[in-house]
Amino acid sequence: MYFRQAGHVQCSVLLMCALARVSAGADDPKPTPENTISVQLAEPVKPQTFSRPLKFFLVDVIDRSGTAQPMLVFKPRGGIFLDRTPAEITRGGLETCLKSANMLAADRDSADFLLTVYLFNFGLSDSSGMDFFGKVEFAALLKNPKTAKSQQITASGTSIAGVAVRKKNIQKNVKEDIERAFGDALRNLLRGVKLRDAVSALDVPTELPATPAQPSAPAQPPATEKPLANRMSR
Amino acid sequence: MKTIALGTIVAVLVWAIPGMAKDPQTQYKTVEAKHFTRAEGVELSPAFSDYLYAELRAELAKARLFGQVIGEDEVVDKADEPKSIVIVGTITEYKKGSVVKSAVIGFGAGSRSLKVDANVARRGDQQNLGAIHVHVKVSPRWDEKVMARFAARDIVKQLKNLLKAEAKAS
Repeated sequence: MYFRQAGHVQCSVLLMCALARVSAGADDPKPTPENTISVQLAEPVKPQTFSRPLKFFLVDVIDRSGTAQPMLVFKPRGGIFLDRTPAEITRGGLETCLKSANMLAADRDSADFLLTVYLFNFGLSDSSGMDFFGKVEFAALLKNPKTAKSQQITASGTSIAGVAVRKKNIQKNVKEDIERAFGDALRNLLRGVKLRDAVSALDVPTELPATPAQPSAPAQPPATEKPLANRMSR
Repeated sequence: MKTIALGTIVAVLVWAIPGMAKDPQTQYKTVEAKHFTRAEGVELSPAFSDYLYAELRAELAKARLFGQVIGEDEVVDKADEPKSIVIVGTITEYKKGSVVKSAVIGFGAGSRSLKVDANVARRGDQQNLGAIHVHVKVSPRWDEKVMARFAARDIVKQLKNLLKAEAKAS
């Protein structure tokens, strides 16, 4: 009799555990074609002009956001996912902008400057609850391959979009919000004073012979300089 | 009768539509809002400045007073500099408020409050166009970011009045 009761208790505990696990699993949204958005620039950002025509080569875009699910930008209501990783989107956007101004080098050797981008934030951030707060933040390491000298430039873009009730409108607003923030961040980088100053500091006039590349101290990747921005609770 | 009614509607539309469609003349080509700094002792979350900056830019774009709302530290053409303005500001005071005071006393007691001082300057000659002082009070139960929304709205409202007064004077 005692063993039978104990068996019942064990069974019910196991059942409860299984149910809890199933419900927890159901909370995690899964990407489907319906809840996936494609973030693209409405139009390429025109970079600033420099004293001489320059070519940039995008070496790499590294995601330093530390997010387990970088493609999940909005968790409630079944979630909203990006169709590509933030690093791929950033790479695509940056290359499009540089290409549109004929500033993208075909390969590393023909480039005047090498760009390595460290992505810190891509998507939505904490907001007041009355709107969506889009935020894109990254640091770009600008390196002159002839002198091996480099400088770091930070860029960020923000955007505010209204909230919505219908899922379809939420997706539309989130997409527009992230696109605007992304465009703003690219604009901040490509048309910013920081890039102009970095280029003028690192650029070697064409008449002067460039000093051979020296194995100088490698520039620290900006992992430690990650901004302390509050990430959206996911 | 029908003709008179139709005529009246057409007359009203002819009178009203130009006023509705016409955007206010943009006095300045570009406006740049900087991230607001914080005075000593202002304890707000690190994300607050970013949020206020984003709200301010959104409100500036909504106001349609400027040709373009540019990002912080963006390069501006030399020719456009006299027709560009820069907004810099400081969050001078933040009081967290008290939910207890608000519930027991009411009438605005225990409110969460934020004071912001901003300066508007012309980019070309750095001439100061005026100062803006904003004081926002909200319920202590509300998120601090709501204050950023109200503060941004107030700043743009005062900026509008400032530019209107400047246009009248010149």
